[in-house]
Amino acid sequence: MLDVIFLLLSSFAIGGALGMVLFHQPVHSALSLILCIIALSGLFALLSASFLFMVQIIVYAGAIITLLIFIIMFLNVKEANLPKEPHKNITLFLGALGLIPLNILILRAFYKLPSSFLEKNDNFGDIKPLGMELFEHWLLPFELISILLLVALIGAVVFGRKEEA
Amino acid sequence: MNMISISIVIINVILALLFSLGAAPILVWIERRVAGFIQDRLGPNRCHIGGIRLGGLIQSFADMLKLVFKEDFQSSSIKQGFLFSLAPVLVFGSAFLTFMVMPFADDLKIGEQVFMMQGLPIDLGILWFLAFAGLSVYGIMLGGWASNNKYSLLGAIRAGAQVISYEAAMGLSLVSILITYGSIHLGDMVAYQGTLLFGFIPAWGIFLQPLAAIIFIVTAFAEANRTPFDIAEGESEIVGGFHTEYSAMRFGLFFVGEYVAMSASSALIVTLFFGGYHLPYLNTGVLKSNMPLVLSFIVIALPLVSYLFAKWIGKNNHWKEEGNIRNRESKILIQGILVINVGIIFLLGIFLREGLGEDGVNIATAVIQIATFAIKLLLMNFVFVWVRWTLPRFRYDQLQDLGWKVLMPLAIANILVTATIVVVMGV
Repeated sequence: MLDVIFLLLSSFAIGGALGMVLFHQPVHSALSLILCIIALSGLFALLSASFLFMVQIIVYAGAIITLLIFIIMFLNVKEANLPKEPHKNITLFLGALGLIPLNILILRAFYKLPSSFLEKNDNFGDIKPLGMELFEHWLLPFELISILLLVALIGAVVFGRKEEA
Repeated sequence: MNMISISIVIINVILALLFSLGAAPILVWIERRVAGFIQDRLGPNRCHIGGIRLGGLIQSFADMLKLVFKEDFQSSSIKQGFLFSLAPVLVFGSAFLTFMVMPFADDLKIGEQVFMMQGLPIDLGILWFLAFAGLSVYGIMLGGWASNNKYSLLGAIRAGAQVISYEAAMGLSLVSILITYGSIHLGDMVAYQGTLLFGFIPAWGIFLQPLAAIIFIVTAFAEANRTPFDIAEGESEIVGGFHTEYSAMRFGLFFVGEYVAMSASSALIVTLFFGGYHLPYLNTGVLKSNMPLVLSFIVIALPLVSYLFAKWIGKNNHWKEEGNIRNRESKILIQGILVINVGIIFLLGIFLREGLGEDGVNIATAVIQIATFAIKLLLMNFVFVWVRWTLPRFRYDQLQDLGWKVLMPLAIANILVTATIVVVMGV
């Protein structure tokens, strides 16, 4: 049963990722990206990482892609105005070639994994242990990342602001 | 999985269906009659089946039938047929899923097994609600975009901008609530609200976090796309907004989805701020230990309330002429109330005489709590309807100002104050 769900979710994730690259119409690409993200969150749920499962949906599917689609719809590009992509297949092929080193790296990491996995403890992936871990052992990196995000946010507001007349 | 656990799962799913999907016709009825009352008219009340009108409730079922049998028209300008059909399903499905984590009653213990009384037995609570409430906006945006119509697109863009802005304030107001209760599981929050504050006030969220309650209720209105935040379908400006091109059951799904979303928001508001399934001063423990007393109280109070209700029916649903349809309906309704009364009192009498046993007391507690939750849910839904027919619609810039410049700073200030109090008091 779990295997079937895993296969289904993975194929949706891969299909969504492919669709995101291959579709011509930007709205369709964004929608495939959502499909990919929701399938990924399902994979997190299968690994009983419930917090990641929810955060993946809330942050990526619920907020970031909503903004993306919002902007795409706001521009409302007509079919005729979309850029022509005459060398699409060649570009895709070259892009795939460029990704081969990364694939080799991931495959090597995969084969380095121990063949028998550690038993997970009862509250694995729950919110409380995750928060404890973050704020006890990784407090400084966590705060630094928060400041980085804050700087990016303020920067966006500053750039987005109209000049005072 | 034995018989008991299977039946409890089935009961939970049916209850979730009843509270969300089954509530839709009742909510439509409440909406129309309350609108009529507020605008000093009657509202629809003539539709009947064999004389039974139930104050106009039958009209909702007639409307449902109409939507099902109407021609499903699709304009030829619509190029994205699949997305066009997918949109209402997304709105309806995500609204329905948000309801699945609302606890109807305290955890039910039968024998050695403990069951969570909610649609799906998961303890992700608020996160689950936020996730699927955020997804519902895709349905509206896709529907508006796929309609290939400028009014629909405007409605979709407005809906998107509104939900994104209000989700920020909603999330921040929820943070202070999470700090107070110390859990994201809605069942834990309701259990916390069963205690007493200073020994005499029920520790309901509205007393602990009044500011967060106000911010959350306002943002919940915006998330459910209800007036005063329904600029996504402002009739006077953009026809029907995102559902201009929809008809028949595809429109019906949007329509029902709106009521399911409203019901889910009400359920969350009740759960977070109004004690959930707890009767004030009677938390689960007290209710269990005083079960015979509570049952005797019901035996006494039920006939009294029913008598008053029957008298009210007789007075208001009456016509001078003999054998009029109204007089006949009154007679049938009063007889129905009598039969229900006799049945319930007979059942309770047996329980009181024979004693309930531990499992029986637990089940009786769950039933009372489910009834309490249902009443609170209806009252909160009534508030939604009340506000809709009282307040005018916001202008777009006023709406964004309220979201970003008022609600969000207030929510952040509330987090600061709450966190300081929690740290200083060391609770």
